Amino acid sequence: MATQSGIYHETYGSDMQLRPTTMQRVRLALVAALLVVIPFVVDSSTQRLVNTVVIASIGAIGLNVLVGFTGQISLGQGAFLAIGAYACGLLQVYFAVPWPIALLAAAFISALLGGLIGLPSLRLKGLYLAVATLAAQQIVEWVIINWDPIDGEINGRATDALRIPGNALFGNADLRLNNNDTLFYVVAAAILVVVAMATTNLFRTHIGRAFVAIRDQDIAAEVMGVNLYRYKVLAFMVSSFIVGIAGGLLALQSTAISFERFTLSVSIEYLAMIIIGGLGTVSGSIYGAAFIVVLPELLRSVGRALAGTDPASLSEFNRVLPFVQEGVFGVVIVVTLIIEPEGIQRIWRTIKDYFRLWPFSY
Amino acid sequence: MMKRVIVLLAVCAMLIVGSAGAQSGEPIKIGAIFDLSGATGDVGTPYADGVIAYVTALNESGGINGRPIELISADYAYSVETAEQLYAQFVAEGVVVFMGWGTGDTLALVSRIAEDEIPFISASYSASLNDPNGTAPYNFLIATTYGDQLEIMMMHMLDQWEADGNSASDMRIAIFHNDSPFGTDPIEQGETFASGAGVGGVLAIPMPRGATDFTAELQQADDFGVTHIIVQNVSSPAALLAQNVFDFFGGTGMVHFGCLNWCADELFVNRAGAAAEGALGAIPFTPTTVEVEGQEGPREFLEARGQTLEEASLHFSQGWAAMDVMAEAIRRTLDAGLDLTGPNIRATLETFEDYETGGLLAPVSFSAEDHRGNRALKIYQVENGVWVESSDLIDLRAME
Repeated sequence: MATQSGIYHETYGSDMQLRPTTMQRVRLALVAALLVVIPFVVDSSTQRLVNTVVIASIGAIGLNVLVGFTGQISLGQGAFLAIGAYACGLLQVYFAVPWPIALLAAAFISALLGGLIGLPSLRLKGLYLAVATLAAQQIVEWVIINWDPIDGEINGRATDALRIPGNALFGNADLRLNNNDTLFYVVAAAILVVVAMATTNLFRTHIGRAFVAIRDQDIAAEVMGVNLYRYKVLAFMVSSFIVGIAGGLLALQSTAISFERFTLSVSIEYLAMIIIGGLGTVSGSIYGAAFIVVLPELLRSVGRALAGTDPASLSEFNRVLPFVQEGVFGVVIVVTLIIEPEGIQRIWRTIKDYFRLWPFSY
Repeated sequence: MMKRVIVLLAVCAMLIVGSAGAQSGEPIKIGAIFDLSGATGDVGTPYADGVIAYVTALNESGGINGRPIELISADYAYSVETAEQLYAQFVAEGVVVFMGWGTGDTLALVSRIAEDEIPFISASYSASLNDPNGTAPYNFLIATTYGDQLEIMMMHMLDQWEADGNSASDMRIAIFHNDSPFGTDPIEQGETFASGAGVGGVLAIPMPRGATDFTAELQQADDFGVTHIIVQNVSSPAALLAQNVFDFFGGTGMVHFGCLNWCADELFVNRAGAAAEGALGAIPFTPTTVEVEGQEGPREFLEARGQTLEEASLHFSQGWAAMDVMAEAIRRTLDAGLDLTGPNIRATLETFEDYETGGLLAPVSFSAEDHRGNRALKIYQVENGVWVESSDLIDLRAME
């Protein structure tokens, strides 16, 4: 683990610490405090937005494991999310499985199917692999739309939207997630913390280092004894496991899911998250997810404040806003990438370095 | 300097007092989500305009019992996730009722709507949303459900088919549908009706999103031996399909073509051109080419702004009618001296009996057991580029 100069370790224990400096620990404590404080200080709609950020962060970390850390480009994020969501939903609909078990099972099912989808990865790289995962995206979408048993019923009528039941845990209605944003936040944020820590630690193990070696130069990695096939499929499984959790959370957050939530545009949105946040970093995934989720809301809020409440001007504003949103969104992404191609995570590191080195420039 | 500040404060105070005087009473907050830029934006935009116009007109005439309406709305671009976020945001801002849009998002919101006790009228007429004593106690459907629309369309087509000397067993219906919860919603009811009526066969064919040609799907229908095509989609893809049908089967009349609610409109006729001739429409809302009393309001509103109802399309009156039903429920609740709470407005809606919108749609009735406003509509047909009446009101409720 690289640390700044001047930091010496005298024991293996201190050498292995995730956050060796005091400043890092202070920042970690602040983030932990912020996580705890959020439900007490925000209103219900902001809480929901935060929950969406948390789910997106988990999904982005999962995708980053595959794309950022292992270098395997994927356009199948929507498919992996869908597998997690439907696995979690169907287990509850057909077998009345309590949601924590359904969520965990969904993660394992996603990992299994993710491994299957990853099978062509030994022979395919780069753009070719991206197209293969795109095929997976299309197949999963087709299955959701056309396979009747996974559609479920509403009022005794078949419907394309899978209705997720009340999600009560052990018969306790207070432990429902889909209309209790605070409880949902507690569960999802705890999962995010676990996923973030597990992923960070994963890249300190031989498995994670094998992933990074494959990303940087797969032939050299093979020469060094890394079993390419095994680790590439494993990367797909680990990634799908995490993305499956995000998908399961999506199902638990809502009362109905349909393929409309898992289209190709979702896959592209997630790729944008990790590119803007920073490829190959856990914190970058979270920054990117927050950026992509919050920016449209921010633009909408600013627009609404400018438009006021008069229906006529609101009407005009509503008509213009989507185009402004798309435009600003595109501009911000392009500008971010021009300023710092390595993403928000790198910008944040540069800011930290500036203050750490101040008043010297290096 | 001090003098300037005092003058400025005085002006501000006058402005505040002045604006308060224009409309007395606390505003009634209504939430709304519209699709202006998403997959159904072509029909979503005039619908949104209709809702907004009704609120504007209502406020100009003094609001409801002197209380202005504050419409809190946004474009959700047909994204379920955005709909959920906006719904939560608007409910947090204190809206008492909500005007929604699509099937997928309304279904996703059903449980929240029930928990929050927010009366909800969406532009989705999915029968899945009619469950007053179960999962959807606060959802109301002002118009004929998609399933009923399809059943009435099939009934009408079958009558015509048999009147022309054909037998039901020779009738083969292809349902071309949007590939979404909205599109697939009526299929089962249609299949049940068709098998009961002895129709030769029904085939559901999904219409891929963003397709620029449906010839492959039409080949599938042709192999099936299609005699009738019914479309459950929005206007733009339906118009494209009509043109493909025109080309594929060599002109109109080779197969009978019909559209349900969201594609039977002026936009469809304009886009499909000659291919639209003879097409049938199961339309719960009166087209702008057929005069009814209820169109006076929207027509006057638009003409005062240099526009016409014909340009705005029937979806404008549809939005207007939807908002009218909700506003009437609020008015009756206030008239009864009750607080404007979700349960009170819901109870008021459940007392609606044959509420007239001036013919914009069939009279609306709700009960504690049934939140379908009506089960009736007229079939229209395109003649010389305009929708004309092809049947009287066909009422499934009356047939039961």
